[in-house]
Amino acid sequence: MQSNWDTLWQHRDLFIAGLANTIVLFLLAAGMSFVLGCVLVYLLEGRDNPARRLLRLLMDLMRMLPFLIFIYLLYYGLPALGLRLQAWNAGLIGLTLYYGAYFAEVLRGARLVLPPGSLEAAYAHGYRRTKAFFRIVLPQLCMRTRGETGNLLIMCLKDTSFLLIITVAELTAAANTMSSQYFIGTEAFVVAIALYWLLGIAIESLIRWCRRFGRARGFEHD
Amino acid sequence: MTDTPAVSIHNLSKSFGGIEVLRDINLTVARGEVVSILGSSGSGKSTLLRCVNWLEQPDRGEVRIGGARMGVDEATGRPLSARALAAMRARTGMVFQNFNLWPHLTVLQNVMEVPVHVQGVARARARERALALLAKVGVADKAEQYPHTLSGGQKQRVAIARVLAIEPQVLLFDEPTSALDPERVGEVLAVMRELAEGGYTMMVVTHEMDFARAVSDQVVFLEQGKIIEQCAPEKFFTRPETERVRRFLELEG
Amino acid sequence: MDAQAWRMLLDGAWVTAWTSGLAIAIGVPLGLAMAMLRMARIPVLDQLLATWISLARATPLVTLVLFIFLVSPRMGLAINREAAAVMALTLNTSAFNAEIWRSAFRGFSREQREAALACGMTPLRAFRRIMLPQMVVTSMPGLVNEMSFLIKGSPAIAVIGMVDLTRVTNRIAAVTYEPLPPILAAAAVYMALIALLVRLQAVAQRNANRLAM
Repeated sequence: MQSNWDTLWQHRDLFIAGLANTIVLFLLAAGMSFVLGCVLVYLLEGRDNPARRLLRLLMDLMRMLPFLIFIYLLYYGLPALGLRLQAWNAGLIGLTLYYGAYFAEVLRGARLVLPPGSLEAAYAHGYRRTKAFFRIVLPQLCMRTRGETGNLLIMCLKDTSFLLIITVAELTAAANTMSSQYFIGTEAFVVAIALYWLLGIAIESLIRWCRRFGRARGFEHD
Repeated sequence: MTDTPAVSIHNLSKSFGGIEVLRDINLTVARGEVVSILGSSGSGKSTLLRCVNWLEQPDRGEVRIGGARMGVDEATGRPLSARALAAMRARTGMVFQNFNLWPHLTVLQNVMEVPVHVQGVARARARERALALLAKVGVADKAEQYPHTLSGGQKQRVAIARVLAIEPQVLLFDEPTSALDPERVGEVLAVMRELAEGGYTMMVVTHEMDFARAVSDQVVFLEQGKIIEQCAPEKFFTRPETERVRRFLELEG
Repeated sequence: MDAQAWRMLLDGAWVTAWTSGLAIAIGVPLGLAMAMLRMARIPVLDQLLATWISLARATPLVTLVLFIFLVSPRMGLAINREAAAVMALTLNTSAFNAEIWRSAFRGFSREQREAALACGMTPLRAFRRIMLPQMVVTSMPGLVNEMSFLIKGSPAIAVIGMVDLTRVTNRIAAVTYEPLPPILAAAAVYMALIALLVRLQAVAQRNANRLAM
């Protein structure tokens, strides 16, 4: 009779595949949603007009939705309009758009309280709007929102688990399968939870490293 | 009975992180006496006051309030229990530089809080007394307001009323006017003067030289943790013995 | 959507409401208890609590609810669907609340506490009458924010078969063959709930700001 841990090790491929899916989904979604957030903040830069107000409204509405309902909308709802997405793609698009709105909101909050000095200096030196935004304003926003960005990244990682409900074979789905097929639920879930925890710690360490990097380059001092 | 000093401090010493802040302090305050504690920043004045009500625990020496030992159980030598310490502290009342009113309570509630909830005074009586004290310090009209609507001078006067409501044996003032705008300083000093004339025992750490001169019975000068001059105000301000005090008076004007 | 569909939707909304509500009702005071235990700095307990809170915050709700539901029978505890759902939501939200309470503790003005002690209050009394009332006010915006995150995460209970506001849309679609309307209706209900909490949070923030003045 082999122990449960041996069984787990024997079927580790399933686990590794699930972990790989989670990590790939997370990295792609995190990267794309962050870029989307930066683009949205750029679009919001400037005088208030109906288009910008609409954009802000859409962002607010997105943040009032549960993530899973948004996924349902993309996966179960869109086919009614003729657009059928594969589960993995629906998951990636869902994560990207959802967290794009959250990143945009966090950056927008920092933009509102950014002291105007550095931007004025940029204009005085002849920077045009777009360049000034991406080279002067955005780096500062990113540095100032480090903590909240870290929180959002961890939330994004955790939300990948919702995709099991639309049959994406990510980490929690792997643990679930292990549990139902090989009856090693306890061990499988303990390992899955430990992996989420480690990934979260890795993200937090990355954020802390960014702080040291920013300090050394003179971006921030406290 | 009347010979027991209100406060007696013997061989008090206190260090913070290796730096000696108070060195072998001896001081007696008689009942009804007003003592002003002067000195430059870092001389240990505040620490001395905070040792009297055990907000700072001295490393060596003893403090007695009305003859009773503060902070330490006389019989066993061990630290007082939380309840016994609280009871001893209620024999003193401290007015802080930053007023430290409780922002979630109205002015009246601030003054009534300790009598009602700690000393067990009946609510109606406590309210009566609180209103009388607020009238005495001149802020009776603010009784139902919250502290954040008051000026600094008003807040400090409420703090004084709050302390009087406990009916302590000694009043401790830790730079009571240092955080006030110059126009507000006078109203607080006036209240303190009234208290002094009313026979309260007071220990006042202050920079207000005129006040110290006019109101104190005794002036104590601290320098680097030691009392280097201790005498009546007239002598202190006109014929001080130490050079250090002379230089201090020149600077403070 | 016809009347039957709406009735099913409301049933789903009720499941979401009572599970989330119960989790919040237990999770807020449980978080306070954990924060207070941590502030007491008891040697081994503090590290254990810190680790527990860290784990609970790092574990996705879906994973947690599956874990509790599937693994507890093996431990000899027969936990039904409803209990597992509420337990998972509660454990998750209480860990986040613990951090919110703890940061309110640490931000509390030492000086007010000193004034209370100087007036003759014991530390316990100073805590009950001076610290705690103010901590409730300053924590409230964070706590309400966490409530809205809990509701947004509550669809996780669908994975163990709880027919909440999200999963009920599958059921309705199975009857009406129109998946989009129930999803939109459910989205609207969620948004209304969250909008209410956002409004509450703004009020809580105003109160907290007033106290900080």
